[in-house]
Amino acid sequence: MSTIRQFPRLRTLAILAAAATLAACGSDVETQTNQPGAPPTSGAYSGPPPATEDTQAFMVNVWANLRLDTRCGGCHGTDGTSPTFVRSDDVNLAYQAVSGLANLTSPGDSMLVAMVADGHNCWLASNQACADLMIRWIGDWAGGDGLQGREIELTPPPQKSVSDSRTLPADPGLFQTTVYPLLNDFCASCHSGSVANGVAPFFGDGDVNVAYDAAKARMNLDNPAQSRFVVRLGSEFHNCWSGNCVADAQAMENAIASLASQIPLTQVDPNLVTSMALGLFDGIIAAGGNRYESSQIAFWEFKEGAGTQAFDTSGVEPAINLNLSGEATWFGGWGIDLRGGKAQGSVASSRKLHSLIRATGEYSIEAWVVPANVVQEEVPIVSYSAGGMLRNFTLGQTQYNYDFLNRSDATSAAGTPALSTPAAAEVLQATLQHVVATWDPVGGRQIYVNGELVVMSDPSGGGLLNDWDDSFAFVLGNDPSSGNPWEGVVRLVAIHNRALNPEQIAQNVEAGVGERFFLLFNVSDHVGLANSYILLEGSQFDSYAYLLAEPRFINLDGAGDPGSIPLEGMRVGVNGVVGTVGQTFAKLDTTIGGSAYEPSTGQYLSRQAAVISLQSGPDIDEFFLSFERLGASTNVFVEATPQAPAIADSAPGSRIGLRTFDRLNATMSAVTGIPVTETDVRDTFTLVRQQLPSIDSLDTFVSAHQIGVTQLAIEYCNALLEDTARRSSYFPGLDFNASPNVALAGAGRDLLLDPLIDRMMGVGLQSQPVRNDVRNELSALIDRLSSCGGSCPAGRTVTIGKATCAAMLGNATMLVH
Amino acid sequence: MGAKRADGRVNRRMDEVRTGMHKQTVKAVAARRWQSSFALAACLVVVSAGIADVMATPRDQARRIHDRLAGVPPSAEILDQMEQRILSSNAVGAAYLAMDNRAFYDVTLKNWAAPWTNREGDVFVPLNDYSATVIGMVRDDVPFNTLLSADILYSGPSSLPGVAAYSPTSNAHYEDMERQGVNLMTQLQQQSQSALSGLPPEGTAGVMTTRAAAQAFFVAGTNRAMLRFTLMAHMCRDLEQVADTTRAPDRIRRDVSRSPGGDSRLFLNNCVSCHSGMDPLAQAFAYYDWDETARRISYSPGDVHPKYQLNADTFPYGFITTDASWDNYWREGQNSLLGWDPALPGSGYGAKSMGQELGNSGAFAQCQVEKVFRTVCLRSPENAADRQQVNTMVGAFRANNYQMKQVFAESAVYCMAD
Repeated sequence: MSTIRQFPRLRTLAILAAAATLAACGSDVETQTNQPGAPPTSGAYSGPPPATEDTQAFMVNVWANLRLDTRCGGCHGTDGTSPTFVRSDDVNLAYQAVSGLANLTSPGDSMLVAMVADGHNCWLASNQACADLMIRWIGDWAGGDGLQGREIELTPPPQKSVSDSRTLPADPGLFQTTVYPLLNDFCASCHSGSVANGVAPFFGDGDVNVAYDAAKARMNLDNPAQSRFVVRLGSEFHNCWSGNCVADAQAMENAIASLASQIPLTQVDPNLVTSMALGLFDGIIAAGGNRYESSQIAFWEFKEGAGTQAFDTSGVEPAINLNLSGEATWFGGWGIDLRGGKAQGSVASSRKLHSLIRATGEYSIEAWVVPANVVQEEVPIVSYSAGGMLRNFTLGQTQYNYDFLNRSDATSAAGTPALSTPAAAEVLQATLQHVVATWDPVGGRQIYVNGELVVMSDPSGGGLLNDWDDSFAFVLGNDPSSGNPWEGVVRLVAIHNRALNPEQIAQNVEAGVGERFFLLFNVSDHVGLANSYILLEGSQFDSYAYLLAEPRFINLDGAGDPGSIPLEGMRVGVNGVVGTVGQTFAKLDTTIGGSAYEPSTGQYLSRQAAVISLQSGPDIDEFFLSFERLGASTNVFVEATPQAPAIADSAPGSRIGLRTFDRLNATMSAVTGIPVTETDVRDTFTLVRQQLPSIDSLDTFVSAHQIGVTQLAIEYCNALLEDTARRSSYFPGLDFNASPNVALAGAGRDLLLDPLIDRMMGVGLQSQPVRNDVRNELSALIDRLSSCGGSCPAGRTVTIGKATCAAMLGNATMLVH
Repeated sequence: MGAKRADGRVNRRMDEVRTGMHKQTVKAVAARRWQSSFALAACLVVVSAGIADVMATPRDQARRIHDRLAGVPPSAEILDQMEQRILSSNAVGAAYLAMDNRAFYDVTLKNWAAPWTNREGDVFVPLNDYSATVIGMVRDDVPFNTLLSADILYSGPSSLPGVAAYSPTSNAHYEDMERQGVNLMTQLQQQSQSALSGLPPEGTAGVMTTRAAAQAFFVAGTNRAMLRFTLMAHMCRDLEQVADTTRAPDRIRRDVSRSPGGDSRLFLNNCVSCHSGMDPLAQAFAYYDWDETARRISYSPGDVHPKYQLNADTFPYGFITTDASWDNYWREGQNSLLGWDPALPGSGYGAKSMGQELGNSGAFAQCQVEKVFRTVCLRSPENAADRQQVNTMVGAFRANNYQMKQVFAESAVYCMAD
């Protein structure tokens, strides 16, 4: 056996070469067993003491947890139904009876687990939760080794060809006329979002779109009898509406078959070079148990996927089972999606946090979360509190920051001041993140995000937790009063009564979240080597997509170097169709064999992952790989030739427009002869520059623009008329020292107006106003300004010159072009 | 001007002016007392003056050409000369005469280029090395398809009075030139960008590696901004216009969430459509940054800037940038319509070759022509005739070594009788 390391940050694997087995964790990580929680009591044990150390471990970890009458003790206790593995009279006899029921090497393969997973007297509403607890207890009995580091044998999956299949259409119309009537009539009293205490999934909802989304994964179009709806009725006898579950199941099967019959088969392109096909659950479970859990006192993985409770599967009693309320739905691939709702435990069960954490004086809050956004402020994600003003602890969010509030003798009853991640670092992102908040009595609070210590020191320092209140409730995504909702997805939460150290946190980051599978896609025919596969690690990424990661070529027979096998353009197909979106491996161009190939481990093809759209759900969707080239098989991928979009005519725009700011300035300078650098002019232009039109469209012209134009025109004319030399040059022959009635009378008026009109409006242009019209307007202005009663003040002619100049310069003959 | 008269919007706006004059306080300048009188007159000139018919005469057409190109009216002498050239069927020659006015450079081209040099598209920003280089390249008929790749920079002479010397750490040189009213038509000098900025020649990429561009688009962030704003300015397309969900997402970096807020549909329907093509192109900028302390562009050949590894935990399976190699995924799919040069390989190493990829595309040439058309005609192409004209000018632009003045001249001539 050789151990290989996967690409950085990804979980380590070990492969047994000849047997082609995988180990779920690297050997370099020391695994830890969970601390035994206080088992529930069911009367004192007065029988003989455990004869061996292993019997003692069985007694503490399994027997004590199962002997309750409400669990296995009601039937398999003393004098009960064989096997009496929880008998109370003699734990050594119970130990003998459990032989064959528990697999200490692989707890998940134990008969005890299989029984409760199949619903055999599971004491919780979720068979999955019972199975998880059973695995944990047996694993604890085994010393933790059963949970971690178990070897995973790679065995050939079922060999299925890529076949034609049916895919549910986007429109719910067919569903609405076939399956939906049954769901809406008989399931909506519970499975609807519009009823009180509605139970997700809402496939009976009054909104057919909501119902369709929830029902897709529960209808198998290719095999209606295997649809979850049919199995739930016919085999699990779940709320049959007629009293005859067989008949109800048949009705459901018929409805789904009717739906399927109206959906055409998707034909597989015969030119594709494909692997064999696989469903997600045809894969080999890759998710290991290599988390650090020795101080874990509460644990939620949210595997239930239905119902209104999320079970605490830490195995530490009492379990804090969380009740979902409000806008809280199940998230695909394990998790809960909180959009205003919450998941809350009872005060009584939450009390174990109070007692077990105060016993150690330290703790950690660990969570995998996906904040919905980065704008919500001061909202709780994980909280043990009575509201916003009273809490024992809260891990919360403020925009890009995680906040950590803890009640101690150094902080307030609200746990303030909060310790937050640095705002500038923006460590909180609206994506899947692992966050751990730790508290210890010396250093106080710390925050780790994705395994990195983000906040190193707590200004409030450490302290004691003596003031913690045991009347608070543990709640996710809100205050207990529901008045401060956090929006996002919670995929895992663990509470530890120790401050995790960086190595332990890193171990849990490596362990990841969610259920993962090794998917073996058979490509033997294309490479000419039996038992050859492309191996991908697959998982449900979220409610809408799968993740297929780290492809590698492997031969389960451990064959030697396969030579030189070209591989190009690998794509993931779903349900007979190769989609166009998310094909991360489409550019792959490599060769299998040679030095990169190791018989024991195969050959990595990429460290990347593809995100592929979920279609009908993980129970139904079937994957395959297609290749542009694999070995001697080729299928040239030809893209459709894009068509240039037709361009429609647009409404005719104006053929004229405004001179914009710099053009106005340059124009005024050009027609007056005053440089733009003239101090007064430059100052005024600087002042009004951004007030002047900045775009040329006439539609944008507003009165403020004209004010700016006016000011600038005045400034230019002032510079022109106040300078004797300039005005003499510009208006030759005009005596500005004479009174207006002399200087601007008769020919004198022409001396003023002609230069202005000629230079500012131009000569001989039909596109400008008629010259005489302009002249008349200006002349009338001069007349009005010259009416001084025969005693105009000195300098009046210059003033009139400036006014006339500005009127000519600041009008539309200049502004519009 | 019949068009003016016919356009009721002018009158309406002038009425607003008249009303506004009584509401607003005007800055006190020399002749306060007569402000209202002259403003009223200003309005009346437009409202009541008899305005002649459309651009029927060569003289009016000459005036239009000059106004639109230089932004200022011509002198009587120049107008006469332009009129004569039009009468001699040399309207393009008339346009070239108009472009001999310094305002074409100081005003029209400066304002044309200014919005490209900052994220806000602000036209009021001071002259800078980016806009000065555009002005100079147009003036000298430097092939404009090298705008994004050449080792070129324009600055003023070192001895201009009142003008600070060029510095790669300051824009004062250009701001002083603008403040002092330096004639850009005569004073701008073509320089080697690498000699001025200190970048190695292979590290220069035309205006993309100017100080102004670096300050605007390499600052902080992930350097994707440089590509986006370059696309907007020189391909006339924002990312929405090049979005394509069908490109392989293998080059999307790790900082892009594949399930934003827990919903991968957002990634598969939106994010991937831009990032799949953008990230492999923006990789060309892997060695660049804006040094906020030194106030200059930073270039570290061989060392990928840490900004390319930001938020690596967001999606650990994402692409890890190890060098400045780039690939143009948009050569396939719907964006193949952008007209990529078949003589180029579609991939390369560094910003210079990536700039060549963009600069030699059909979309680049089309964009330059359309921008000129918009600037000169004051409108966008709006019908088949306009589009045909644009296509003709694009063809001539590419065939004639990407001379931008030719485009300005042809556009002005096309619109001279509008």
